[in-house]
Amino acid sequence: MPDDVAEEKGPGAEPAAGAARIGEEVLRVEHIAKSFGPITALRDLSLHLNKGEVLGLLGDNGSGKTTLIKTICGFHKQDSGRMFLRDEPYAPKSVDDARSHGIDTVYQDLALVDELNVTQNMFLHRERLRTPFPFVKTGSMRRAARKAFEDIGIDIPALDVPIARMSGGQRQAVAVARTIYGGESDILLLDEPLAAMGAKEGGLILDLIDRLKQEREVSIIMILHNYVHVLATCDRVNLLQEGAIALDKPTAETSVEELTQIVVEEYRRAREEAREAEAAGAVSRGAEAGR
Amino acid sequence: MAATDETTVPAGSGGPGPAPRAPGARMGFPRRALMGFLTLREGSVIVVTLVTIIYFVATTPHFATTDNFKNLLPYFAPFAILGAGEVFVMINGEIDLSIGAVYLFAPFIFEKLVTDAGFALVPAMIGTLIVCMLVGAINGFFVAVVGITSFVVTLGMLFGLEGLTLVISHAQQVSMPGTSVTHVNTFAQIFGAGTYSQLIWALVIVAVLQVALTLTRWGIYTVSVGGNRLGAAEAGINVPWNLIRNFVLCATLAGLVGLFEAVRTTTATPDPAGANEVLFEGISAAVIGGTLLSGGSGTVTGALIGAIFLGVLNDGLIIKGVNANYLFLYTGIAILIAMTMNVFVQKARRGAMRA
Repeated sequence: MPDDVAEEKGPGAEPAAGAARIGEEVLRVEHIAKSFGPITALRDLSLHLNKGEVLGLLGDNGSGKTTLIKTICGFHKQDSGRMFLRDEPYAPKSVDDARSHGIDTVYQDLALVDELNVTQNMFLHRERLRTPFPFVKTGSMRRAARKAFEDIGIDIPALDVPIARMSGGQRQAVAVARTIYGGESDILLLDEPLAAMGAKEGGLILDLIDRLKQEREVSIIMILHNYVHVLATCDRVNLLQEGAIALDKPTAETSVEELTQIVVEEYRRAREEAREAEAAGAVSRGAEAGR
Repeated sequence: MAATDETTVPAGSGGPGPAPRAPGARMGFPRRALMGFLTLREGSVIVVTLVTIIYFVATTPHFATTDNFKNLLPYFAPFAILGAGEVFVMINGEIDLSIGAVYLFAPFIFEKLVTDAGFALVPAMIGTLIVCMLVGAINGFFVAVVGITSFVVTLGMLFGLEGLTLVISHAQQVSMPGTSVTHVNTFAQIFGAGTYSQLIWALVIVAVLQVALTLTRWGIYTVSVGGNRLGAAEAGINVPWNLIRNFVLCATLAGLVGLFEAVRTTTATPDPAGANEVLFEGISAAVIGGTLLSGGSGTVTGALIGAIFLGVLNDGLIIKGVNANYLFLYTGIAILIAMTMNVFVQKARRGAMRA
């Protein structure tokens, strides 16, 4: 097992230039396709991410958002197509490999282990070790976790209790904090980081992302469902439909109305197709492929 | 924000029992100690075992004697070691039924290595354990890579290996090399025949593995793989490797116990029925000790206490003079009663943790 040691270095160690944030391209995905048995999750998907940019991904359930994230982060391997990281060919062999390239993920299901406590979850697979001994540095990790939660402003009263006893929002905060503070990744993939959060907690996470944009040279791909959040937080928005990008616009050039319009049209078309298919006697609805 | 955190976060609770909310500075010491004890995961099985011991001490004059303690040792030390390995596999959410077969198989490999291949005793022992590790690796491979349920894989291994043992031994008992009925040499003293040899091995193995379970990556990943296998994989944990590792541990410990017992009794007997009983005692020790069959949770010290409970029960019933025909019946009833008590103690424990 590749035991890469998460180095002891606080967040925001290298403050970046705040002004002309968005720079050259860091990640490019070209003509990616991915199927799970009979279900095509990604048909022919191409996108790019610029340095310092927050890219919002929108799309219906089953449009391939999660599969895309899991392909970039090394969890799935695409059937065809290529990826480039800083103009180098990029083919992650594993989640670890992707992380060693500076790509880290908040998963939709959060990837938390109920039986472990908050600190252990926060540092899951990012443990700090008492080298040369194989023991984990519980105290150091607990302090770092507490500092991270203070930094975000989220209230997590006890770090030594199983995470099963935390609320949905607290759990999500731990998952987000793990990815942002657990290492030094500069490309973050966030799959619905606000799904389980109330307005207040969600606001704290959006603030955190805003702060990250100022402090670190991070580039972010974020799946969101709420158009208002997308417009408020993202620099650019990509809309996925049936495993391909249907729209790519800077958020400044689009609006809730336009996004809604596109999605409503998609629904209308899907319903018509379903009706036609029903008439033809064969209804086939793709289930959510990403799970 | 910082101020409220300071009051609610228990700053580095020292004990092994995670005190969730630092319950009550107003509480008196006895009550606090009781709460701390009950929040231990092994708390309930300790209570049940103590009650059992007190029962036998009170009703049987010979129970609390040194001689009886020595008699008791072989009833639990081997099962504590077997249970310790099984705990890791069970926390993974798997089960290893092949430990009985490995236990049976190991002494015959040892005997072959010494008498046929001319190995010295200690190298033969190491060689035997390597073979056992291989058995564990095969179990792990079929579970983690091929994707067959561990129950089925290890059941196959159980039958296969017991059959292989009968084949290579021609169903004949052999005397263990390096041991003799009349004289216990240093080798035998260390590896099973010394009065406290297996106890010491058991305590050391349990201590090392308990520390490994709570304080190393290996342990944390083991809990993760059992608690949320998909999440563990998403976090980047190498799930198949963790599974294989734990099956290897389990098989190695089973082989070690097989060697110890053969050295202690100076013979290796190809008796699959006896080996299957050993298998059940080992798994029972882990389960009684609080390790969940469903995975994600368990402790090695719990397996030790579970083994002590089973040993005390067995030994206690025998010296109480229970008719041999009734022994299993009483053992069964006692296990049910004790585990029902365990549920109530556990409820009290949860109440204490919520307080």
